[in-house]
Amino acid sequence: MTARLRRSAWPLVLTVWLLAFGGCAAGPERGPVTLVFKYARILGNADPLPELLRAFEAAHPGVRVKGEALPWASDDQHQFYVINLEGRSPGFDVMMLDCIWVPEFARAGWLLDLTSHLQPDELAPYFPSAVASATYGGRVWALPWNFNVGLLYYRADLLAKYGLRPPETYEELVEQVRRVRAGERDPALDGYVWQGKQYEGLVVNVLEAFWANGARLLAEDGTVFPEPARAADALRFLRGLIETGVSPAWTTAADEELSRRAFGDGHAIFLRNWPYAMDLFEGKGSAVRGKVAFAPLPGRARGEPGAGSTGGAHLGVSSRSRHPDLAMALARHLTSESAQRAIALGAALSPARQALYRDAELVRSHPAMPRLQALALAGRPRPVTPYYLLLSATVQPEFSAALVGVKPPERAIADAGTRLAYFLRAVR
Amino acid sequence: MRARARALADVAVVLALAAYAIPFFWQLLTSFKPEAELLRVPPLLPSRLTLTHYQVVISQSLMPRALGNSLGIATLTTLVSLAAGVPAAYAVARLPLPGKRLLLLAIVASTAFPQIATVSPLYLLMRALELRDTWAGLVLVHASFALPLTIWLLAGFVREIPIEAEEAASVDGAGLVSMFRWVLIPLLAPGLASTALLTFLFSWNEFLFAYTFTVSEASRTIPVALALFPGVFEVPWGDIAAASMLASLPPVVIVIALQRFLVRGLVAGAVKE
Amino acid sequence: MTGREAAARRRALVCVGPTVLALGALTVYPGVWVLWLSFQRRIPIFDVSRFAGFENYAFLAVDSRFWSAAHTTAVFTLGSVALEVVLGVAAALAIHAQQRGRKVSLSLLLLAWAMPAVVGAKLFEWLYHPAAGLINVALGRHAINWLGDPSVALPAVILADVWRTMPFVAILCYARLLAIPADVYEAAQVDGAGRIATLTRITLPLLGRILLLAVLFRTLDALRAFDIMFVLTGGGPAGTTETLTVYAYRALFQTLQLGFGSAVSVVVFALVMAVAWAYLRLLRTGTVAA
Repeated sequence: MTARLRRSAWPLVLTVWLLAFGGCAAGPERGPVTLVFKYARILGNADPLPELLRAFEAAHPGVRVKGEALPWASDDQHQFYVINLEGRSPGFDVMMLDCIWVPEFARAGWLLDLTSHLQPDELAPYFPSAVASATYGGRVWALPWNFNVGLLYYRADLLAKYGLRPPETYEELVEQVRRVRAGERDPALDGYVWQGKQYEGLVVNVLEAFWANGARLLAEDGTVFPEPARAADALRFLRGLIETGVSPAWTTAADEELSRRAFGDGHAIFLRNWPYAMDLFEGKGSAVRGKVAFAPLPGRARGEPGAGSTGGAHLGVSSRSRHPDLAMALARHLTSESAQRAIALGAALSPARQALYRDAELVRSHPAMPRLQALALAGRPRPVTPYYLLLSATVQPEFSAALVGVKPPERAIADAGTRLAYFLRAVR
Repeated sequence: MRARARALADVAVVLALAAYAIPFFWQLLTSFKPEAELLRVPPLLPSRLTLTHYQVVISQSLMPRALGNSLGIATLTTLVSLAAGVPAAYAVARLPLPGKRLLLLAIVASTAFPQIATVSPLYLLMRALELRDTWAGLVLVHASFALPLTIWLLAGFVREIPIEAEEAASVDGAGLVSMFRWVLIPLLAPGLASTALLTFLFSWNEFLFAYTFTVSEASRTIPVALALFPGVFEVPWGDIAAASMLASLPPVVIVIALQRFLVRGLVAGAVKE
Repeated sequence: MTGREAAARRRALVCVGPTVLALGALTVYPGVWVLWLSFQRRIPIFDVSRFAGFENYAFLAVDSRFWSAAHTTAVFTLGSVALEVVLGVAAALAIHAQQRGRKVSLSLLLLAWAMPAVVGAKLFEWLYHPAAGLINVALGRHAINWLGDPSVALPAVILADVWRTMPFVAILCYARLLAIPADVYEAAQVDGAGRIATLTRITLPLLGRILLLAVLFRTLDALRAFDIMFVLTGGGPAGTTETLTVYAYRALFQTLQLGFGSAVSVVVFALVMAVAWAYLRLLRTGTVAA
């Protein structure tokens, strides 16, 4: 019995000894460390990420980085994070975040406060609105990674053929669609395609229509739909596009990809989409290569000028990461200028750093970059609030109902308002 | 003449059912189609067949891990629910059990339990026990969910066994465990196979709990991995087709190979009501 | 009580012990807990957790999305069960009439039933693809916007569900047909009954009880259906394919509204139990009559 005790005591003594001495001999980040990075697979054949991760490993001996893919829809990614982060240590250190989630995740305590880790002017090179969406309660919670803004793509060849300039208002756009289609006599040619499927993309498209019409989803004081009549009018206008055939009936099932393909196959005159699409239109074998240009999203006649919604991804560090300094270093490495350049070159994601829009190498391969910067600067963010997902999830089916015509726009707005009031009463 | 008409009718039935299975065959074909031809239909048939999608799914995605998880979780679920279900079914069928009526009622009622009704408390339970994203968590949930049907089916099969066999064993002075081992289980084998088959299929196919309780590749099962197939903007139809073929391969093979047991199990479940 | 009886009872308790424990901890206890949750406002992300009485239920009564989901659930259940029964009986009769090739037929039928519902959803998502889906290619490009048009999305989802679950009904009926002794038919032939008369007077009545059971199982399954619409449409377009279960799940896990979502779950729970109870009563009286 005593022999057994003595034998089993040895490891214990050893452990105590190691803990006592190991603790002062080396920092906490000794030995092989694995960092887990959660990100959405990047579009394009030359995925630059594996190489970027290997470069980080080379610069940090003893550190291994494991990239893990997220689901592909933004709503699914959010659900993944919510279930994974709520009340437990997640199995990852660095995470890609849709910019709309930062306030929610920060408030829930899931993100590491990066403010004290940052150099004084470290965020200066980024788009101010990207930094704003990574900030909540005066603290910085994420590093901007890529930046998106809603654009109006148009068939430059078709517009030129009919002596038209890119439309400044939606009314002009409708008129141009009529003229081009009357001239082309091609039944397969649709007018204006955008994203009307019931998902986050629909909220973006409707918000852009709201803004052009002087309506908002959320006022500064927290009022929901402060301009209900204008909001309903914007929804009615979108519904009208479908009813009059300016937009095809399948718009109500269209996401970015479906609409991008229709336009890319040469079956549409106008398209609302993100900057990534330009690369695919200019790719080898594209049916519209050299025929596409983009402009700011139109406004409404007697309304406000148009503004594209901003979007994009940030990199945050889990507040429960066991290696916060290394995780921060990885986030910093992936958002560095050279990494963002590599991503912009290899994949089609536009950078969050402004200097890259005038970078000689990038402009050579993407001549539209400087113009894109101006549009990105003029973009407008979706409401910045911890309750954004609650807002979006609640309004999605109502907006969708108005678009497909099963609910009058006024009632859709009123119903969404009632539901939001009930849910928000619980959290305020 | 009449024989020929009959043969024709037989062929017609098979053809009609083959047509019924077209959704499956179309996906099978899609999984072998070159990427460039996926969205260019017609023609319906590809110019050549390729294994690219399977290579992508096996090398680049989480599918192999998910297959392993599903296989492990479904097997363990089957074992656990049989281990608990066989004695319970025996007790229900043969032994004087206090509160048997109540237990039977509970068993029947819980076969009708909708998963959505317990998913929120189970989520909190799994969180409290740190069982989220583990095999153990999902196996427990699946096994307890499958248990009522398991007992129901097995109790029926036990009743079909002549009682003399057990009595002989108990006269020989055999204990409960050896009676199970040497008498009950061998006689119950076909019924066990049917029940195991249905439990395995349930666990393999189950989505709602798996989607909620598995959050990473450590435990994500194949239906979840398929529902969350990654990509940005682009929908990889060919890869999804390949992945869905991999996901349906085990159940389809099992069901077709063990058809006899399956039909027996399904019918027993319904008829023994 | 003799010693032997007591021993048997002890054995019985040992045998059901694990089961009672598992069902108690993972089915009954959560079943009570969900009721308790439904009386709360509980949102873990925002640290909200307070008793709210009937607040959630009162809101459900005036919640248009809830009523639309209830309506969708009813249409989905009726539509899919009715189609399954008609097609299932037809398939069972056809296979039963086969002289040869029954095994091939059954295999083809079971193919659809064996696969996970998620795979079924992916199969149909691809078939319904607006531009490249097999169905639209057959009908002409962009002919019908299956999953985007609110008037056809629910039928499209029902079709996908029927495809995968009809074989269950067919196999139950087929097995019952096998159990009908041949002399029943021979007697009918002697009586000079025609084919249709044999079908309506003999076969269908004999199928009655098993059909009722099949309908019971399928109704319960259809009422709690989740996978197919969650993956195929996510409840869209315009919420036209959102059933109560999908609504409950979205409330529960999209924004972690555990209290409100649980209230919707409890409604599904009550609905399923009520239907099960009604059917069982029907079955019992049916048995007495027969």
